Amino acid sequence: MAEINVENLKVVYRGVILALQGVSLRAGAGEAIALLGPNGAGKSTLVRALSGLLPQYDGRVLDGKIVVNGQEANHLPALKVAELGLTAILEGRPIFRYLTVLENLRAAAHKLTPQRQKEITDEIFTRFPRLYERRFEQGGYLSGGEQQMLLLGMALLTEPRILVVDEPSLGLSPKLTEEVMRVLNELRRDKGLTLVLVEQNARAAFAIVERVYVMEQGRVVFEGTAQEAQADADVMEFYLGGAVAGGFAEAKRYRRRKRWV
Amino acid sequence: MDFALVIQTALNGLANGALYAVIAAGFVLVYRATSVVNFAIAEFMLIGAYLTYTMSLFFPLLLAILLALPLAFLFGVLVERGFVRPLLGRNVVAVIMATIGLASTLDGTALILWGPDQKAMGAADVAQLPKEVPNLAFSLGGVFLSSKAVWSLLLALPLALLLVGGLKYSRYGVLLRAVSESETAALAMGINAPRVVAIAWGISAVMATVGGAFLAGAAGGGGPGHHLVLLGLIVFPVAILGGFDSVPGAVVAGLLIGLIEAFSQLYLESLLPGITQAIPFLIVLLVLLFRPYGLLGQHRIERV
Repeated sequence: MAEINVENLKVVYRGVILALQGVSLRAGAGEAIALLGPNGAGKSTLVRALSGLLPQYDGRVLDGKIVVNGQEANHLPALKVAELGLTAILEGRPIFRYLTVLENLRAAAHKLTPQRQKEITDEIFTRFPRLYERRFEQGGYLSGGEQQMLLLGMALLTEPRILVVDEPSLGLSPKLTEEVMRVLNELRRDKGLTLVLVEQNARAAFAIVERVYVMEQGRVVFEGTAQEAQADADVMEFYLGGAVAGGFAEAKRYRRRKRWV
Repeated sequence: MDFALVIQTALNGLANGALYAVIAAGFVLVYRATSVVNFAIAEFMLIGAYLTYTMSLFFPLLLAILLALPLAFLFGVLVERGFVRPLLGRNVVAVIMATIGLASTLDGTALILWGPDQKAMGAADVAQLPKEVPNLAFSLGGVFLSSKAVWSLLLALPLALLLVGGLKYSRYGVLLRAVSESETAALAMGINAPRVVAIAWGISAVMATVGGAFLAGAAGGGGPGHHLVLLGLIVFPVAILGGFDSVPGAVVAGLLIGLIEAFSQLYLESLLPGITQAIPFLIVLLVLLFRPYGLLGQHRIERV
């Protein structure tokens, strides 16, 4: 079964900006982990590194090791990483906006036989009836929630063993976020996927993952089970707005002061 | 009004327009795939026509054209791999200057390899081989159509339409449109974006070869020479009129400009000598002023 091992990973952009400063984490086969952290913590950089997409952003692995499904993947290009069974849903809902829903699914299914493509597409439309209703519409005209569903459908068509999802709740209402998390959890359970969930919405993430990593300024500053994270006063203060006296402004000052590293 | 003459002019215009359409469709395909404006498209025609000429020294002309196509495809792929890919993501002006440089390089290379004089298309040195493709010229009810025009309509037009249909319905077409939107997103879905893009350049070179070979007189009338570079400039007004990022737009615009040129030649040329050559570029000015998206250019999706 699939798993991810990252050891002491350092990533640099344009040769000078050190975005990851020695990150280590692990996701066992079929396990769901969450990466939490504020903007600029290095979460998306980690997603790019895992999926072999760093060169697209003028970045590279400086040091450390990434093992995907038992194979070292530090310097593998994105296509080779995809062949190892890792599919990444990048931040910003990167569907193909000018392609219809059906064409988006067809593009993602490029390696499948027509029969297999039909089977999985039928499954996607059963899971997401709204996508079926809008199958002939361009992706750019879908709502945020529908686009997220479409991305999950596209990911399914790549038949992944490891799914890395970057901020699926971004810009979605709480109700839609809950729905997306429910679907992610179902997919993970039904397909036996290893899930790496990158989120800022800690509460949503806690509901579906077993373990949590908190990142800040390119480092992992907390590692533990979801229960341990929820019992940790610092994590709760930082992500769920715990009891800091003095209202919102004081809470912000408190957060600025209270750094993990 | 002489209706036979009007029909004959329209058919000749469509025949020339089909050649414009096929070249411009390939040009737009490359722009869609890589956002690179290939200023060397006229030189692609030139190289394609010379490849056809070279093949025609050893094979019957129709076979020579067919044999030149895979070579042209390879040429397009090599240009993409060796020249364009390293430049992707760089400053737009740098890429533009680079493709202009590529045009000069190809021009010079053609000059070195094939010399400055215009070649006679066909197996001139091999007596046994047909010098031209079969003559399909016909005359019906006062309408005369040259063999070149018939061949253009028979080959170039279906090829252009095949590209339009393929882009819309084939698996490769869907992948190319996906890659053209976001190479990164495509790579994340395991789509082999570099291969898709390289194929687009190969197809563009094939289309330019068909257009170049026929404009150079594969079906009669002249042969390949450096005058093709000037003829190739027509691609830009055609692409702009079509919408620049629309392959169907390029095909429609190619046919339209072919028609306009033909009728201008018939009715305006005697009044305003030289107007026919200027008309496509006047159209560009009007399009840019009043309809910047061209005939079928893609409008931006904006959610409100």
